[in-house]
Amino acid sequence: MELKSRRHTVADLASAIELCYTNGWTDGMPVVPPTEERIRAMLDAAGLDPEHQLAFIENRQISVTAEKVAINAVMAGCKAEYMPVVAAAVEALGDPLYGYHGPATSTGGSAVFMLVNGPIARKLDINCGDNLFGPGWRANATIGRAIRLVMRNVIGTLPGELDRSSLGHAGKYTYCIAENEAESPWPPFHTTRGFRAGQNAVTIFAALAPHQYSNQLSATPEGILTTACAYMKISAGSARQPQYALVFAGEHMETMRKAGWTREQVQNYCFEHARSPVAELKRLYMMAGDVAPEDERTMFPVVREPGDFLVIAAGGSAGVQSAFIPGWGGKEGSQSVSREIRIP
Amino acid sequence: MPIQIFDPTTETTARRIAYAARPESLAGRRIGLVDNTKHNSDQLLLRIAAILERDHGAKAHVIRRKKSAGSAPHAEIIEEYKANVDVVIAGVGD
Repeated sequence: MELKSRRHTVADLASAIELCYTNGWTDGMPVVPPTEERIRAMLDAAGLDPEHQLAFIENRQISVTAEKVAINAVMAGCKAEYMPVVAAAVEALGDPLYGYHGPATSTGGSAVFMLVNGPIARKLDINCGDNLFGPGWRANATIGRAIRLVMRNVIGTLPGELDRSSLGHAGKYTYCIAENEAESPWPPFHTTRGFRAGQNAVTIFAALAPHQYSNQLSATPEGILTTACAYMKISAGSARQPQYALVFAGEHMETMRKAGWTREQVQNYCFEHARSPVAELKRLYMMAGDVAPEDERTMFPVVREPGDFLVIAAGGSAGVQSAFIPGWGGKEGSQSVSREIRIP
Repeated sequence: MPIQIFDPTTETTARRIAYAARPESLAGRRIGLVDNTKHNSDQLLLRIAAILERDHGAKAHVIRRKKSAGSAPHAEIIEEYKANVDVVIAGVGD
């Protein structure tokens, strides 16, 4: 099937890279020139026809086709076998529960956090360990980058135009991880979304930057979560009640395992302890209104319900660091959504 | 050796959008206000409605709050406004 995108002929590889800069098609770093052979390899790897619509972005009235996604995945540096993951994530972007327009456009400056579960994560070598949010893995670096390039080039999410982030953060270059299913104390995350462990799935979440905390003084889940909740109580999501991702790395993961704590226990503990008096939120100008006497006794949790904590096992095996990630805005504006990754 | 690359952007397709006819006067019109949930947006909208009623003869106003600033008004608001108001004021306030 013919590719319909406009074609540009340039003298050589260097000119192609430069043309992409000139036309404003990059995130600031060089891109791989999208040639027909590379684009077709992407489409073939996902079993997609070029005109297949992966998402429709209602507010922008934009149809995101497989052809455009494949072009941007090539530019991001993806291997062809990454394309099913990219395609599933783009499908998730079009889910009304994700609410593309809000988090993509808002001054709040969120990025698309992506969690990959299932056998494909190991097959594609998507990092779930050391330097989790840092550089060094092609799959993590380029799958997330492909999503950002799709947002930029296909959906028009350009900084200063339809991306009005005041600050943004480094996750807007790429924010893709896998879960460490082999060493996790819990069933794989995607099983909480109705998938079987053997299925492949990607979960996207409109997310601010990861906030790291350390706890080397406690060897109990309660002790570790006490630290986590102390940070979360006054964080970007306080008084807004978005979802929060909780990422537990190696030694903390092991503490949870030894104590036999389930994912639900972690969620319930955090729901009970990551909360502040309404009065304090008002005094800190995080909640509107004058302080009323009952506000001193009324506690306000950072999320609406325990299930709004997305509990994930990932990160290096050494060290006593874990992280929480506040979601963008409030849950009514955007929720994490999961999609199956389909491999032909 | 020359190489051919493909455009990664969306090619715009022209489409005609039908706008609702603008009223020649606000006299006797009912105003629907869309509160976008941002702090004080309701206060601003209510002041606008007061001016429209005082100086331009608008008859009445209702105000409804969206669920989120980032999304369109939900169906109940749209249905109510289609049935009960003549003019809608919506905007992005922050």
